[in-house]
Amino acid sequence: MNHGALAFWLRIAGLFLLRSRRTTVVLSLMVLLSVAILIFLSSLAVGINDAMVRNSVSLYSGHITGVNLAADLVPAQLEIDGVDAVVKRVENRGLLQQNDRVEPVMLVASDPADEISATALWRKITAGRYPQAGKAEMLLSEHTAERLGLGIGDELQFRHGLESPPVNFRLTGVYRTGIDNLDRGLAFCPPAIVPGDDVRWSAAVFLGDGIEVETVIGHYRERFGDAAQFETWQELMPDLRQLIDLNYVSMSIVTFIVFGLVAVGVSSAFVIFILKNLREYGIVKSMGVTPFEIGLLIGLEVGLMNFVACVGGVALGVVASQVMSTVGIDLTAFTSHNRYFAVSGIVTPRLTLYSLWVPPAVAFIFGLLASIWPAMLVIRGRTAEILRGI
Amino acid sequence: MIRVQNLGKDFRSGRRQVEALDGVSFNVEPGEALAVVGKSGSGKTTLLNCIGGLERPDRGSVASLGVNLHELSRHALSMFQREHLGFVFQFGNLLSYLTVYENIEFPLALNGIPRQERDLRIGALLEKVGLASSARALPGELSGGEVQRISFARAIAHRPQILLADEPTASLDSQTGHDLVQLMLDVLRDQAASLIVATHDPVVTELADSIMHLRDGRIVDEAQTAVL
Repeated sequence: MNHGALAFWLRIAGLFLLRSRRTTVVLSLMVLLSVAILIFLSSLAVGINDAMVRNSVSLYSGHITGVNLAADLVPAQLEIDGVDAVVKRVENRGLLQQNDRVEPVMLVASDPADEISATALWRKITAGRYPQAGKAEMLLSEHTAERLGLGIGDELQFRHGLESPPVNFRLTGVYRTGIDNLDRGLAFCPPAIVPGDDVRWSAAVFLGDGIEVETVIGHYRERFGDAAQFETWQELMPDLRQLIDLNYVSMSIVTFIVFGLVAVGVSSAFVIFILKNLREYGIVKSMGVTPFEIGLLIGLEVGLMNFVACVGGVALGVVASQVMSTVGIDLTAFTSHNRYFAVSGIVTPRLTLYSLWVPPAVAFIFGLLASIWPAMLVIRGRTAEILRGI
Repeated sequence: MIRVQNLGKDFRSGRRQVEALDGVSFNVEPGEALAVVGKSGSGKTTLLNCIGGLERPDRGSVASLGVNLHELSRHALSMFQREHLGFVFQFGNLLSYLTVYENIEFPLALNGIPRQERDLRIGALLEKVGLASSARALPGELSGGEVQRISFARAIAHRPQILLADEPTASLDSQTGHDLVQLMLDVLRDQAASLIVATHDPVVTELADSIMHLRDGRIVDEAQTAVL
């Protein structure tokens, strides 16, 4: 088939669609909306997973935790592409003491300004405030404060061991996250208050949405070799990783059920569309249009309509996802007691390559597949029978 | 020339087998116009469909221009219809989504006629059928008579050697019907084409070269109009 002939059939298919205005619009809208909804649902599912990760890592750990880092390494060296923030922390194992009560603790010394800007722990403060830089102030979990019988403004002591000299602190705030490993045995103070906290340090690295943890860690390993050790949030929180994997599996099952329903809908609509116009194909056939050309004409009609509808659907889906990701969807009412939404119940949908190409591809392929049976009906049927069936 | 031999076609109606055509044989020479007359259900349309390759006969053969249509592959049959046949259907059967101009252009484009030539032929045909001003109209905007005239223009646009017309004047007033049939015959003579027309219309039978009467799918009378 030469270009001229293809152009002719394209023109005929285009005119057919343009002038069957109402049917074309209704059918296109159906495909368009299906594609748009599938794209949006898919981006919402990704957004929910993102929100769980963001919530879980933003309280404390970051997406990547660097441990046992040398003193001559500075946070700025970890700030590569895709990294939003790096918080330097020095972990001091020791004991907290108030009168005769003693509690083992990991006292984390870090810059209050860095913590407040990069993490959301300050949002979980239930009384008092975050410690100020340069002052011997401490933030404790509610649980530890209760165990020590402390209230805001009370004095307490930290020491590395029973024989070590004590460092005096004043309790300025208490927090509660609802997450056990953060609510038990952790305390926060500004740096350079506890002696000996200027040697090896750990880092909490926070990434932008959609940045692959493995990619960033790969860069770190290339740059620092064995001199530094990094762990991902997946390694630190295997329970969350499993939950997200489970989410992806259930999302895939739901998505394919929805795809299946949409595909059946689209297929049925196209079959009806072609059967409704059977007479026109009979007329065309009586004028000597070959079986191949009939198939081509029907394929072009379905393909053209599907293509335009899919492009529209992708555009609408992208716009809806983008708008909702800017505005955010507040699911606090459904997440307030969920540990994976400890900071915020706001979900921001995120588009992925998968959510962009699978819905239009499914709609397009099923539309074309649906045209095979009626096309065969026209091709194999006697012209007189097709015309009689008006 | 068209050679029809012992043509038979059956249809199933519920449990009954109905013989729509039985033992029909005749020849039509180039430049000859044959009118097939008979009551509704006598088998006229079935006969035209079998001759045009729209219907497969159960018995007998149809040889058009020396080709037995029903032995051709689907592709070859389509190519034969495209080049050599023109149909005028009872209700016009224009493509509803194409304008008058585009409907007539369709068989021309199918036959690879260049655009300039197409424009010339379509312009001339529209003048002939008196619808030059309706070139951009869609079939839905035309009257029954206008649709029939465009259907005729489309059928002859690619200059077929065989023209088959099924009740072409059914929706026309007598004068317009007469004009249209006269136009068909003019074209027929110009192109030395064969015309078979199924009709009830006396205007058509008067102008045809020969008449064939069908009753219950069988020929009951065949005569030259001159003799009649």
